[in-house]
Amino acid sequence: MKEKNNKTHTQHRAKTKNLIIIGVLGLLIVVAFMISMNTGFIKLTPLEVIRTLFGLGTEKQHLILFEFRLPRIIIAVLVGMGLAVSGCVLQGISRNALADPGILGINAGAGLAVMLFISFFPSTAATPVFLLPVLAFFGAGVTAVIIYSLAYKRHEGISPMRLLLTGVAVAAGISSAMIVLTLRLSPENYQFVATWLAGSIWGSNWKFVLSLLPWILVLIPFVFSKARVLNVLNLGDLTATGLGASIEKERRILLAAAVGLAGASVSVSGGIGFVGLIGPHLARQLVGSRHQFLIPAAALTGGLLVLVADTLGRWILQPSEIPAGIVVAVIGAPYFLYLLSRLKD
Amino acid sequence: MSAIKVDQVAIGYSNTLIIDDLSVSIPEKKITTIIGPNGCGKSTLLKAISRVLKTKRGAVYLDGRAIHQLETKEVAKKMAILPQSANAPGGLTVFELVSYGRFPHQSGFGSLKKEDYEYIYWAIDVTGLNEFKDRPVEALSGGQRQRVWIAMALAQDTEILILDEPTTYLDLAHQLDILLLLQRLNEEEGRTIVMVLHDLNHASRFSDYMIAMKNGKLVKEGTPEEVMTCPNLQLVFNIEARIATCPFSDNPICLSYQLCQKDR
Repeated sequence: MKEKNNKTHTQHRAKTKNLIIIGVLGLLIVVAFMISMNTGFIKLTPLEVIRTLFGLGTEKQHLILFEFRLPRIIIAVLVGMGLAVSGCVLQGISRNALADPGILGINAGAGLAVMLFISFFPSTAATPVFLLPVLAFFGAGVTAVIIYSLAYKRHEGISPMRLLLTGVAVAAGISSAMIVLTLRLSPENYQFVATWLAGSIWGSNWKFVLSLLPWILVLIPFVFSKARVLNVLNLGDLTATGLGASIEKERRILLAAAVGLAGASVSVSGGIGFVGLIGPHLARQLVGSRHQFLIPAAALTGGLLVLVADTLGRWILQPSEIPAGIVVAVIGAPYFLYLLSRLKD
Repeated sequence: MSAIKVDQVAIGYSNTLIIDDLSVSIPEKKITTIIGPNGCGKSTLLKAISRVLKTKRGAVYLDGRAIHQLETKEVAKKMAILPQSANAPGGLTVFELVSYGRFPHQSGFGSLKKEDYEYIYWAIDVTGLNEFKDRPVEALSGGQRQRVWIAMALAQDTEILILDEPTTYLDLAHQLDILLLLQRLNEEEGRTIVMVLHDLNHASRFSDYMIAMKNGKLVKEGTPEEVMTCPNLQLVFNIEARIATCPFSDNPICLSYQLCQKDR
């Protein structure tokens, strides 16, 4: 009996350790938040931030905090969370460590929709900024549906490997279509599209926060509630079936959730890549592969990553900005190569 | 009394049928082993029995009910499967992987309950993995890892265990170790065990019932004495075998063999 208590104790300790790690990640986001507030043309110290948050700041501080920085920071964190959890789900259901929303053509699809719109309605490009997230989301969704139906085979359902390969092929096709389309664009429009594709948090506005927030608030808890299913799907189809998971159904639902998360995120941030790949990976190094811990840890890592990238992007070449997507790629590309080299053995 | 009844099934992938019109009964609370040459459809049959593959015609019955009409979770409470090559995702400890065996018994968000812990510890204990329970699965040897998967299937707490080549890639001693464990589970707890084995002598020594297949057809079924005969082995494997009696278990064993001369 005493031995049994010891055993439970070890399990308990592992759980506590993971909870502490998740807590630290949350704390880091708060720290990054403070630093981000303090970065830019007008600096706000943590004290001023707190005072302004409680309505005690000057009017100018109030304006900068509430109208410029806060929505931008919130969007950065939400986008990071959405992309990382999306990647986490895709890696789980495909059992492929290199899966991310970009591989499913979601970024490319969103980009193409935005580009098509701008190239066919060039004069309106400046005005309908609020249409862009809708277009991007639509593009992401349509691409996901196309990839899914191309990869689907009757009787056999959807094989993760075929899904990934189809995704890569469709994404490549879309990218080349986009290159052709750039020829139609005026320099100004090209500039806009290029910035969008590079993934700048351009929609720093409360309306974008409101358009993204519901997706995150609904889908991340939903995915979290499927943590046990993801654990089991991760063991492979045969074992998962043996354990009584309805793999086809679960995979379809989770895939839809991943597309929703990535599509909504990309629609306000533009094409930020790598977060969906690196976020879950870093999280896995920290808390292991059980999704009960992996999903929250990936969400926080992703949020932190994009927030830090956006802050760095605003800081490095002041007063001009580097899109967060590029900063993430600069960090992400070497990490990706490192991953590949580790996967070999 | 049969635990599983396979009734006139046709099974295959996309357009090719691997098994056509096969009927067989798996006896309850016995160890049944399927033998046959590579590609004869034994793994396919096992997959159909475990509802991983849908039958194109006919049906598999579990407790008298067609398995594809049952809730997959309900089936998982009665039948556990150990696939041929199972791979654990990195970073999982033995305890964690074994705990996944409780999946069909959990509902909702489902953190592990007291009963779950009891089954998990029992499964880890009975497979002799106590000292490894907090180690990552990938750090274990092949034999230990195989025992982890068996422990997971045991934690599932099912009457029926289905194993596809549980001893492949293991050395002689570890093979016997696994088979003795399965025998104990069968004798002490009355679990029905169905497996595919390549080693005929192990099949004969540990089985109550044997099923010999070739080209997707049933060649012979019965006790080891009935199945392990020279004519049957010639029919199934195209070998000329010398059959002797196992000094340990009194079952027929294949002492040595050579390929049959091809007919001109």
